[in-house]
Amino acid sequence: MAEYKAFTQEWMDAWKEKITGSQEYKEIAKDWEGSVSITVNADPSKNVPETVYMFTDYWHGDVRDFVLCDAARAQTAKFVMSGDYARWKQVAKKELDATKALMQGKLKLKGDLTYVVRNIKTVNKVIDLLTEVNTIFPDEG
Amino acid sequence: MNGYTGKFLDIDLTQGSCKDFTLDAARLKKFIGGSSLAASLYLERYNLHADPLAPENPLMIINGPLVGSGFPGSSRFAVAAKSPQTGIWGEAACGGNFGPELKKAGFDGIIITGASSSPVVLSIINGEAKISSAENLWGRDIYDVTDVLKKEDKGWKVLAIGPAGENLVKYAAIANDKAHFIGRTGLGAVMGSKKLKAVIVRGNQSPGKADEQKYKEIFKAAVQEIKESAFAESLHLMGSDAAMDLGMMTGDVPVKNWTSGGDFELSSKLSGPTMRETYLTRAHACANCPVACKRVVAVKDGPCLTEEGPGPEYETCCTFGTLIMNYDLAAVIKANELCNRYGMDTISAGATIAMAMELYEKGIVNRQKTDNLELTWGNMDAVFALLKKIAYREGWGDMLAEGSAAAARKLGGSAIDSAVHVKGLELPMHDPRGFHGMGLAYMMSNRGACHLQHAAMGMEQGMVSWPQLFAMKEDYDGKTSEGKALLVFNAENYGILGNSLSICHYLMYCLKPETVRDAFNAVTGFNFEFQDFLLCGARDWTLKRGINNLLGVSVKDDVLPKKILTPLTDGAASGSVPDMELLRNEYYAIRGLTAEGIPKEEKLRELGLEELRRKLYENK
Repeated sequence: MAEYKAFTQEWMDAWKEKITGSQEYKEIAKDWEGSVSITVNADPSKNVPETVYMFTDYWHGDVRDFVLCDAARAQTAKFVMSGDYARWKQVAKKELDATKALMQGKLKLKGDLTYVVRNIKTVNKVIDLLTEVNTIFPDEG
Repeated sequence: MNGYTGKFLDIDLTQGSCKDFTLDAARLKKFIGGSSLAASLYLERYNLHADPLAPENPLMIINGPLVGSGFPGSSRFAVAAKSPQTGIWGEAACGGNFGPELKKAGFDGIIITGASSSPVVLSIINGEAKISSAENLWGRDIYDVTDVLKKEDKGWKVLAIGPAGENLVKYAAIANDKAHFIGRTGLGAVMGSKKLKAVIVRGNQSPGKADEQKYKEIFKAAVQEIKESAFAESLHLMGSDAAMDLGMMTGDVPVKNWTSGGDFELSSKLSGPTMRETYLTRAHACANCPVACKRVVAVKDGPCLTEEGPGPEYETCCTFGTLIMNYDLAAVIKANELCNRYGMDTISAGATIAMAMELYEKGIVNRQKTDNLELTWGNMDAVFALLKKIAYREGWGDMLAEGSAAAARKLGGSAIDSAVHVKGLELPMHDPRGFHGMGLAYMMSNRGACHLQHAAMGMEQGMVSWPQLFAMKEDYDGKTSEGKALLVFNAENYGILGNSLSICHYLMYCLKPETVRDAFNAVTGFNFEFQDFLLCGARDWTLKRGINNLLGVSVKDDVLPKKILTPLTDGAASGSVPDMELLRNEYYAIRGLTAEGIPKEEKLRELGLEELRRKLYENK
């Protein structure tokens, strides 16, 4: 099974493929509208020399943009999620639930929390599909 | 003494007397305040074997040291008595504004014994207590009586009971200014048994702080922590009902009297976001709270019209929603308003009606028994009618006014299998099949099944992570019993402080433990470390357990109901049940209990509970 270096476009493409290939996602996400950016804070000690920005966009069960981006574009997303590399790694490895990380203040969310709660199944499904991607992490590869 | 007024009121309603008394600093340091201090007084001064509705049973209303300081979440106060619903230790904590005002009026607490021969109101205005007639108030519902009293002085903070308390409904509640409820364990019936319709407080005193400058710095840090907390934001936006959508996904939400676990249409129609989009008119805050999680709602059209008023919490959206298969949020709001006006705990009332609906479906009761009410799932007209019958003890309502466990026992046969309770108190709306630690917390909670005598929910569901307090994971698997005994032990020792300090559990989830500790120290000058807090928490739990042991509680009572030991076939908790034996055995070992469920002598000595030790071991 192919492996992908985390936070590369190839890795994002593999994640997007998981999402678009999921019939369950299509059903769950039929009401979701809008983009989510992900900010992974730099951590040179873990081989993440610069902050990584990703822009992902979802529309009624389809996936639109799914790309690396710059800080300015990340800020334009409907929802901006940010956190330290170590936390995102825990989430991607299914060691820490993203909702719990948010409540514990280990990840931050900017955007309409009500919308996220209303669509929590969609959010969790997207994260679940991320954990299915064979990922090589910067401090492990 | 900083943080305390140093004065308590001793009210004897039989004699019509009001006296002050004081407590020494050593006792306050040992038990802090709230329900913990109440338990220490109860053990030492009162007849534990008095009937809960007898004049000798004291009704204790006690503040904690943070109350009146202005610290976020410090509006809470505890009310305690032997419970008429369970026959064991009863307590409930409440937010609102009564606690801070009682301190301004000059008192840390009120202990009420005796019973008046006719209805009375107790007023405490700037250090002066007075008992006066309430003949004109008896029979009025809670909203009405509060309005009448506040017409005299809108600055009065009011505690009142409604018809349910007057009629000694075993799960009658006490309300603070209509919106904040001492709901659980039937303390409204204790107040009703004393013919005490209301307590009014008003004052302008200001309790001192040990280190005012330090307190200001901590206060600022606390406000910042709350601003940055996603948990606080979700509470502000959606109230406690923010938990509904996520809860259905994780297996927390009970459906159809605990027989189902996966109905996303139900959760979607009854959730916090839905309430916000439909019936919410504004958010409301307890005194000194920047979060404002309370809902104010109005149903302006349709068959369930309500005036603008206090909205339902998550628990109520379950008991009058998911638990009885009602998909209509407006009807939940109406049921909530009726319970508020009658003065009944919405958890016990809704859960008792859910049991009744199941019994109706099974044919154990029929229309002859139910006074011709068709108790089919989701029939809210029948629910509204039944709530009134319960509050006034009319017809079948008289039996249901005893609570689900007592009513089921009276019906006999297999009816008891439909009653979902621990020690006579109905389970709150968090399914232990999705979170096994919660099952243990229900089993071991000293007031019967409870989600607020500990922080198990926050810890097990991942709302908080406090590695600075004790070893714990950031992310627990809810559907496993391994390791949960230690989680619950720690969750009790820290979480119960909410009811003694007294501070809102939600705010404890938003604030760092360091901030809570430092605020406590700045106010009291006690210089507690975390270990001191945890020791006080362990002492609190053990003291209340010992009181319950003296009232007959033992290992036989530390059990989960049959429903919870039956796996679900749908939803996120499908196939999962708590391992009750494992949980209990591990917990007993950690807590220092004998096989019979009694605190060991050495544990009582270690915790400084000498009088309890004597009563348990020398007075047999």
